Amino acid sequence: MFAAAWMAVAWSASAEMPALRILPADIRFQSPGHSQRIVIPGGSHCSIESSDPAIVRADSGTLLARSPGRTRIRATCREGSAEADVRVGESESPLGIGFERDILSVLTTKGCNSSACHGSPAGQNGFKLSLYGSDPRQDHAMIVTQGDGRRVSLAAPEASLLLAKPTFRTAHGGGQLMTEDSDEHATLLEWLRQGAPYGAQGVRLERLELHPAENVLRGAGREQEVVATGRLSDGTTLDLTAQVRWSVEDEAVAKVDTAGRTVAGAPGMTTVTARAMGKAATAQFIVTADGDNRALRFPEPANFIDEHVFRTLRMVGLEPFPVSDDPTFLRRAHLDAAGVLPSPAEAEAFLADDGRERRSALIDSLLEREEHATHWLVKFEDWFRNSQYFSQGRTNGAFKRWLHDSIREDRPYDETVRAMLTAQGDTTVHPAGNFWHPAIDFMLKTFEVEKAVPTITRLFLGQRLECAQCHNHPLENLTQDDFYGLAAFLARTKVKHGYGQYRRVWYDDWRGEIHHPVTGRRVAPQFLGGERPVIPEGRTRRQILAHWITRTERMQFARATVNRVWHEYFGRGIVEPFDDFRSTNRATHPELLDALAEHFIDSGFRFKALHRLILNSKTYQLAAHAPGRAGGEHPLEDALFARRAPRKLPAEVLLDAISQVTGVPEEFRNYPPGTSPKELIASLSPSYFLTTFGRPRRDIMEARSNAPSLSQALQLMNGDVLTKRIRGDGLVLDEWLAAGLTDEQIVDSIYARALSRRPDPRERSALQAYLRSEAAAGRSRRQGLANLLWAVLNTKEFQLSL
Amino acid sequence: MQLSRMRSRYSRRDVLRLGGATLGGLTLPRLLAGAGGGSVRSCLIFFQTGGLCQHDSFDPKPEAPREIRGGFAAIPTAVPGVRFSELLPRSAASFRHFSVIRSMYSLEAIHEKAKQYAFSGQRPNNAYKHPVYGSVLARELGSRNGLPPFVVIPRKDICADAGFLGSAFDPFVAGDPAKEGYSVQDLTLPTGLGLEESLGRARLLSALDSRLEALEKSDVIGSMDHFYQKALDLVGSPAAKRAFDLGAEPDKLRDDYGRTTAGQGALLARRLVEAGVRLVTVFHGGYDTHTDNDDRNEALYPEFDQAFSTLLEDMGSRGLLDTTLVLAMGEFGRTPEINHSAGRDHWPGVFSIAAAGAGVPGGQVIGSSDALGAEPAERPVSIEDLGATVYRKLGVDSHKEYHASGRPIRINDGGEPVGELFS
Repeated sequence: MFAAAWMAVAWSASAEMPALRILPADIRFQSPGHSQRIVIPGGSHCSIESSDPAIVRADSGTLLARSPGRTRIRATCREGSAEADVRVGESESPLGIGFERDILSVLTTKGCNSSACHGSPAGQNGFKLSLYGSDPRQDHAMIVTQGDGRRVSLAAPEASLLLAKPTFRTAHGGGQLMTEDSDEHATLLEWLRQGAPYGAQGVRLERLELHPAENVLRGAGREQEVVATGRLSDGTTLDLTAQVRWSVEDEAVAKVDTAGRTVAGAPGMTTVTARAMGKAATAQFIVTADGDNRALRFPEPANFIDEHVFRTLRMVGLEPFPVSDDPTFLRRAHLDAAGVLPSPAEAEAFLADDGRERRSALIDSLLEREEHATHWLVKFEDWFRNSQYFSQGRTNGAFKRWLHDSIREDRPYDETVRAMLTAQGDTTVHPAGNFWHPAIDFMLKTFEVEKAVPTITRLFLGQRLECAQCHNHPLENLTQDDFYGLAAFLARTKVKHGYGQYRRVWYDDWRGEIHHPVTGRRVAPQFLGGERPVIPEGRTRRQILAHWITRTERMQFARATVNRVWHEYFGRGIVEPFDDFRSTNRATHPELLDALAEHFIDSGFRFKALHRLILNSKTYQLAAHAPGRAGGEHPLEDALFARRAPRKLPAEVLLDAISQVTGVPEEFRNYPPGTSPKELIASLSPSYFLTTFGRPRRDIMEARSNAPSLSQALQLMNGDVLTKRIRGDGLVLDEWLAAGLTDEQIVDSIYARALSRRPDPRERSALQAYLRSEAAAGRSRRQGLANLLWAVLNTKEFQLSL
Repeated sequence: MQLSRMRSRYSRRDVLRLGGATLGGLTLPRLLAGAGGGSVRSCLIFFQTGGLCQHDSFDPKPEAPREIRGGFAAIPTAVPGVRFSELLPRSAASFRHFSVIRSMYSLEAIHEKAKQYAFSGQRPNNAYKHPVYGSVLARELGSRNGLPPFVVIPRKDICADAGFLGSAFDPFVAGDPAKEGYSVQDLTLPTGLGLEESLGRARLLSALDSRLEALEKSDVIGSMDHFYQKALDLVGSPAAKRAFDLGAEPDKLRDDYGRTTAGQGALLARRLVEAGVRLVTVFHGGYDTHTDNDDRNEALYPEFDQAFSTLLEDMGSRGLLDTTLVLAMGEFGRTPEINHSAGRDHWPGVFSIAAAGAGVPGGQVIGSSDALGAEPAERPVSIEDLGATVYRKLGVDSHKEYHASGRPIRINDGGEPVGELFS
């Protein structure tokens, strides 16, 4: 009956042929004389030819522009061939650096123009800047011409005081703010070399690209050259490989030199970053052990998730673990999808069903259960911080019910989010407005726009905007203007308190503006990226913002959301941390993330379709370990989803599971017996057990902690939650004893309820020996069996979802 | 806009230069001689969560205008010429037991980051979370007498954990000893369960766990097992039970400490370092006085004053100051100027801390702040310097490197022990 499902799986070993591409794409030289390195990912032993060597000559991996015109280049590799158009222009326009755009950004991020330094009303030692660059013209004059021009030396830029001070070559009260090999230093120096202009002379660097962006190196010592290419504002490209500053996130996995040459170290995954003139780009590196080339075995993909995940594993040369057996899958799916253990009857029915579709049938039935909605409700409450820390019980309850209904009815998530973002009215009657409560200043009873903005971007777009409140984010193109532009959408959102401080009414005023903290100027509503919408008559600013997030930006909204859900199932996001999307934080499977996001959009933003897709994938169903192959030894197994990473049960699920196995419900003050901790309206209802096992206060925007602790071990060992159950009334053991079950039957029942399996022979003999020793010590049969139950509930296996 | 203060205002060289005058004559042998010679075993940190106001405590500014000096007068201390705020009369009288640093500064102005900085001596960054002092001491010195090496009272703070060292070195939470009927949660076996019976079921549990442990090598399993073993040790240790038993203290002494979380927490902390805990942190909250600074401090600071002065007297009379480094500090100071809500906001620019025991001289003022209590005037002391001091006192090589996120990470980076704290 406990047949191992993975044995029945047909293994597929076919590797697909990737289409070759010449990168960077769309090469456009400004003028003859420039060169550009190219790469052909997946291609080996490539020869490059140009159809017109008089225009562009191909010299191994480098293209040389020789005269204006247009030509095709062709790469012929062992794996196939690729072609690309290359153009050579006639005008030479250097990369220009301007004070207003580039230098101010350096001064601001380094704090030079802050109120404690040169931005203070008196400046420092005669050098005064406007606070956070609010008056760029004046600042430019202060640096370039005032002070007798001693701050810059255009004749010998390297000797300028502007460089000597922040690098601490000359004593500087502000200390050392940059090193001579930093991007900031290079930007300042280049600007001085260009004559320290106010506006940039020449073209701008708009974007930086690295190629290949994804790399797999098999074995320590293997190398890959990474090419950095700039996309300029005149539409041309420029090879910046030798100019950018290279760094690597994890030097144990790979090292990179000043020319972008990356050398593999220990197995793992890391990111190489290149920075130039305030722009950044990344390339992913996966380093595998020196692999043998045996044919890897893969389960038959169930859906596109598997195709993406397995493609990466194939590329890396890492074999996934087999699909888990039925009892393991049964328990895992119940715990993950519904937050409960399967009952022995459910287990028997499932294992007796020998239809090929029994797993998907089980998934369908789990997703229709009340427990599924209640289980996901807890996650929603974590996300939206439904807590009496911010609101009183009555509105907590209304919000909880509203979220619960949205899950049960599988309401489109974009509608749910729009309802929250635009909510008006009394929050006991219009519960969606509770979404805004964490942004209320408890003391002042006012709505704090600055608290709401980063919450919204983090929850719905997966972007952390906290930094941009105080300074421009140099690498992510996020500025203070972005922060306050977004805040302006909330400038007319107001709250009234009545009937005690917890009764709240949200409304949109007809007036109200946000003022930029630096310039003091009124800020117009502006989306991230700079677009300023017209607010039509009769629409609120919040409605326009909600529309932009869920419709205009629906792809990013969907990515951020599916990544959250993925994180709930797999313990890590495809982008990790799961709510920190940025250009320097790469997704492990960007195409999968996009495919999931598109699927989510196509299904009308409905979660059930997404749950079904994930639960049915072989990726989700993989085993945590296999006979002869322990899990968790290779660092890439979990990062690339090659196996199930076992996870501790969340506090509420663990407590419910203990109640379920013992047959003794938990009691909470003011709630009827049998209330699940997931149903508590006051999320902070006192419970040492729940707090100790990681129930969050929901006061800050952090994922709940799932870390083991000494207090948890002590609680399960000696705590009252278990002790009172195994000693007290109503324990299921007493029913079994009354019904005359044998020790063996009771042991089987405990295992079936707690672990959804039977004991193996070694366990069985240990259990029998234990019962004999308890009897020999003079303890009653009940006491021995109760202690045995204690031991099973204390096993790691019970506390985990495997 | 206090974030502006976060920038590194004092480079290493600055500090050395500025500190040169006061460091004068302090040679390496003298520093080493003051390092406790292995006799310093523990550290006790009384943490003023939210940030102690320098003006209302160890660094009053009686000459400053009303909106700077606040509503409290300066009073003399046991050391002629040194004055504290009138909110700390007992500490003023006990000043012979401790030193005050008036020129501490931080580079972080947000609670979470500033606390992490203050707890670890290492500036927070986005790449990894540095372990706090207690976690490093737990790792480097291990536990004594079966007690957890790192304990926090009354509850944990999300900023005080082991970071990349992993939850094995996270603090043990002792609970609030000021509560009626206090006992440490789950420390004792359930009543009626004999030791032999409990060991029997524990043996069965290990047998059952062995199946999964053979197949599963991930951190979560190792970590769960580590804590389970620690729990077994702790439950079996009579010393542990005694250490947490505040009922063993005379009522008179408990009253002297104050029947507050601060007072009973400090007393429990003393019992714990006495029994062998490496680092105990007592969190005393309420210092984040954005509104009504004076009213709130008038109620709060006496709790600290009573607990801290009694703690030092008590530890002194027991000889515990020879083996324990005691610190009283918050994550930063409060703004020199009182705001529109009669409060003081976050101020990392300068703040005051107190240090005692482990060879720290008494009655000494180190450094000074400017006339407004806004910036260090002499001898700036960084958070890193304090970290280097803690490790030097406890005999931990602060240049030792851990490895995390694929890079070597020093236990303490860039700090120099504060020479004046080594008599």
